[in-house]
Formats: sequence, C-alpha cells, structure tokens
Amino acid sequence: MPKPKGVAESVAGAIRRAGNPGRSGHALSIRSARDLFVARERLAALFGVRDSSRFVFAENATEALNQAIKGILRPGDHAVTTSLEHNSVMRPLRRMEEGGVSVTVVPAGPGGVVDAGAVAAAIRKNTRLVAVVHASNVTGAIQPVAKIARAARRAGAFTLVDAAQSAGSIPFSLADIPADMLAATGHKALLGPQGTGFLYVREGVPLVPLIEGGTGSRSESDHQPDFFPDALESGTQNSVGIAGLAVSLAWLLRRGVETVRRKEEELLGDLISGMERIPGVTVFGPRDPSRRVSLVSFLVEGMDPGVVGMRLEKTFGILVRAGLHCSPNSHRTLGTFPEGTVRVSPGPFSTRREISGFLAALRKIASARR
Amino acid sequence: MARAAHPEVILIFRGTHQVMSAEKILKRGGVPMRLIPVPRRLTSDCGLAIRIFPPDKDRARKVLSRAKLLPRSVHILREGEVYEEEPCW
Ligand SMILES: Cc1ncc(COP(=O)(O)O)c(C=O)c1O
Repeated sequence: MPKPKGVAESVAGAIRRAGNPGRSGHALSIRSARDLFVARERLAALFGVRDSSRFVFAENATEALNQAIKGILRPGDHAVTTSLEHNSVMRPLRRMEEGGVSVTVVPAGPGGVVDAGAVAAAIRKNTRLVAVVHASNVTGAIQPVAKIARAARRAGAFTLVDAAQSAGSIPFSLADIPADMLAATGHKALLGPQGTGFLYVREGVPLVPLIEGGTGSRSESDHQPDFFPDALESGTQNSVGIAGLAVSLAWLLRRGVETVRRKEEELLGDLISGMERIPGVTVFGPRDPSRRVSLVSFLVEGMDPGVVGMRLEKTFGILVRAGLHCSPNSHRTLGTFPEGTVRVSPGPFSTRREISGFLAALRKIASARR
Repeated sequence: MARAAHPEVILIFRGTHQVMSAEKILKRGGVPMRLIPVPRRLTSDCGLAIRIFPPDKDRARKVLSRAKLLPRSVHILREGEVYEEEPCW
C-alpha cells in the first residue's frame, strides 16, 4: 500500500535522531515520547475517543488480537466468534481451547455476512468474549459489529473487533460501535509503516498483560503498572515506525476517512461492474460497494488463482494477492477452499485509469484461458 | 523554612503518557511550564516531570483536576536543593 507523503521522511528522521521514548529526560527522548503521544492522540481523534491512553501500541493487528484474546479469557470461559475470522483471531482462540476455554464458531450466512442475531443466540451464561471481524479480508463484506457489540454488552460479554481491514477505510467511531476492544494494524488503510498496530481497550475491561517488563514508570516496583498505556506497553516501543504512523494518521484526519471511503466506493463500483462483464470471471462478496471494504476477491474459471496473480504481475505489472489470505474458514464458507481466490485492493491513491487498466488486463487473461 | 532563590514546583505523574497529556492541558490552560528530567532526589524513575512556578499552582491544579489528570505527587523546591512534598492535590 503506497503511503502519504512525509511518512517515510518521518521514519528516517526518527532513526537519525535516535532517541528512545520514555526512558530518560533528554531532548531526544522527549521528542520520541512525543511522537508516541501524538500518534496516540490522533488515533483517539480518528476513532472518537476522549482518553488516548486507552490506545496501546502493538507490532501489528496479530499482536493486538493475541493480547486481547489471551488477556481476557480464563479457563472455563466461553468465546463466540465467526467463520470469517483471520488466523490471527482463530489460532489464539484454538490455543485457548487447549487451556479450558470453549469456542463457538458462528457460520456466516449467504453473501458472506454473519447474522447479528445468530451471534447473539450463541452467547451463553459463561460467554466472556465475542470476537468478530469488522470487514472480511476475503470478501470485503462489512459485518454488523455495532449490533453484535450491543447484544454482547446486554448479555454481559466483552466484544473484540478486528478492524485490520476497516480502520482508516470505513469511517466509524467507538461510540457508534461500542466494542470493548478493537485491534488494527498500521500498515494497511491507516497507511503507516509495517511493524505498527494498536489495541484499543475501553476503560474497565480487565485485561491481563501478555508481556510484562520495563515501562519507564514505577521502576522501583517489581510489579507491572496497572495504568494505561503502560500496563500493556512493556519494552522499547517501535517509536521509529510510530513516528511514520503519526504522519499517516494526520493525513487521514486532514483528508477525512469519509472522503477516502467515497473515492474507494466509486473505484469499487467501476471495478465490480467491469469484472462482472468479463466472461469466465466470478466475483465474490456483496455487489453493493457500500457493503464492503476496498477489496475484491475473484476467480477466473479454469485457472489457478496463483497463475492469474502471476500473469497480472509478470505481463501487466499489477500486484494482487492469491491464495487463502490466512482465513481458511472464510474460503470454506465461500466454497473456494483450498485453492483460494485472487484479491485486488484499490487504495486511496488508486485511480480510475488504474482500474480500467486492471479490467483490460483481466479481460485478456480470461479470454486466453484454456 | 527559607525560600529557595528560584522557587519551583515539580509535578510527578504516573507515566510518560500522563506527563505529555498534562503538558497539553497546562499549555492549553495558559500555565507556563517546562518538561524536565525527574530530579534524582525525587524518585529512582528515569522519566519526565513538569516544572511550574508557585504562583501558577492553583491554576495548574484547577485545569489538571478538570481533566482528571492530577499528579502522583507535587514537590516544592526549598533552600539547599531540598524538596518538600506537598500534601496530595
Ligand atoms: C481481517 C484481518 N485481521 C488480522 C490481520 C493481521 O494483520 P497483521 O498481519 O498486520 O497482524 C489481517 C491482515 O491480513 C486481516 O486482514
């Protein structure tokens, strides 16, 4: 994903300055601590949260999701999730099963959308966690997470939303979606560097840290601090990457996620209707661009997804992702397991011209098959 | 106790994030302040503190309390580099 101007420069500047955040009082350390603070404040602004200390940084969505899942579930608890989850949710849950947690996987309905009522119906007395993806990384389909979070809250369960695909691409606030925890990665639609991500934790959610260690605070104590963000942020942070993320977040706040979204919906509309007109091409997921994030999974009849991906790159210089996208259950739901699909993802810097170029390339590939 | 030549008030917070938040709130509230390394005498910690001047104490307390961000401890520099802890704000 291309980044806004200034992201790379900010990363380079942070490396050159070489300050370590929150470990001493000299100017470089202050500067580095300020980068973290500013990025946190911008995350809070982007998601409509007043107290930015509730955003803890992570290496990526995977780490944030592991912290959420392993920090909230205890032996004897029950968790509800969906058949659309990424392995970064499914695998930690399966691990917890070995430790005495039971898990219910609610299958998605036709169209790749899980029914909020079905999720609510799976909640039991001992359900502690409902973990659900905001937008599928396979079909792009947006899930009814607000409804699910409200139902879970009424039933006394905590909700974890995997916003890896939606953060920065769908405008939403944590007031609209009353999730207790929300995880995302910095390098996708938040347009930041790889190696950045975050977990939002609503006040009062009793999360046990996955990792304890130095926080630069309460150093006289053997015990992990209980206040945020230090409780969940041990060890030297990726202040260099986060300095870049702070810049991409500023870009998103200036541009407005609504504006990014409007543009991506337009591109998606062109893309989907164009792809549907190509003989031999099957498009998965909702037809209506407003019901999906900016990615389209497809297959070319009689062709291996990997081969389609390779031709797009070798002949046309178009980069796509082919395979299972780390979400085998989603592909089982779609009936595209184990080959997977090809996935094309326009971003905020994609153009209509690039979409027509892609459609022309796909038309050529599809007509040359067999 | 005699007054120091340059009396100052040191605000200690729980963590770096809280110091940065307090800085934002004090600046917004028009309280002159500076980020400083935590004086060694005050704590074994390696982080940051905020320095303000005595006449601004009440205003600082007011804006920080409104933001629910009161310091963990407050120290006044007395003569001879001695800090005296103020009872909790
Ligand atoms: C829905 C979803 N969840 C989680 C992840 C994991 O993100 P990361 O690899 O940055 O940890 C991804 C990334 O592919 C994703 O699409």
